[in-house]
Amino acid sequence: MAKPEWTKSATTIRQTKKEKEPALGGTLASVFLLGFFIIFAWVSVYFLFLHRL
Amino acid sequence: MHIHKYEKIWLTFGIGCLIVFLTVVGVSAFAAGQQPPSCLTTIDPEKVDTTPPFDQPGLVKKGKNEYELNIVVAAFSFTPNAIEIPKGAKVTINVTSKDVIHGFEIPGTNVNMMVEPGYVNSLTMTFDKPGEYTILCNEYCGAGHHMMTARIKVVE
Repeated sequence: MAKPEWTKSATTIRQTKKEKEPALGGTLASVFLLGFFIIFAWVSVYFLFLHRL
Repeated sequence: MHIHKYEKIWLTFGIGCLIVFLTVVGVSAFAAGQQPPSCLTTIDPEKVDTTPPFDQPGLVKKGKNEYELNIVVAAFSFTPNAIEIPKGAKVTINVTSKDVIHGFEIPGTNVNMMVEPGYVNSLTMTFDKPGEYTILCNEYCGAGHHMMTARIKVVE
């Protein structure tokens, strides 16, 4: 009786572990959107400065 | 420690950007000599009118095509306030304040400095494009701040 219960709980733990992996696709997209905006702004200002030298 | 694959990607991206930005700024500052326009030369703000070169402010020829432009800044004016510069001249602008902190900006160029009493701020600029330029005070300095301007004319 103890064995099937143990097997069952192990499966549950494995399932919970799988479910706990967070979905970060949206976060990744947001980070890169902001990142590219910062790079664009930085590079624009830097080249404006170089152009005016 | 478990780090999500995406977290590794954006951490690498962020740290990489930081390294690139700091390298560019570091090379500009230490190898190409881009320095802030102030901090090394000091002057007694009460004796600006008797201290050279500010006792005779204006444009001074220093060499072939090289000039020095000395400007005294005080509430609410630049002295001199109408300057003619030959086209292509390499001008080192020296400014100092007699009273409070002012700004010295020529819009559309890289000339933009603070003018602090007690310090001489310098910046070198080559005027390649003929035309009229405006000098503005961009640090709030009092009631007449908005009228504090001067003109530079770059002539052929």
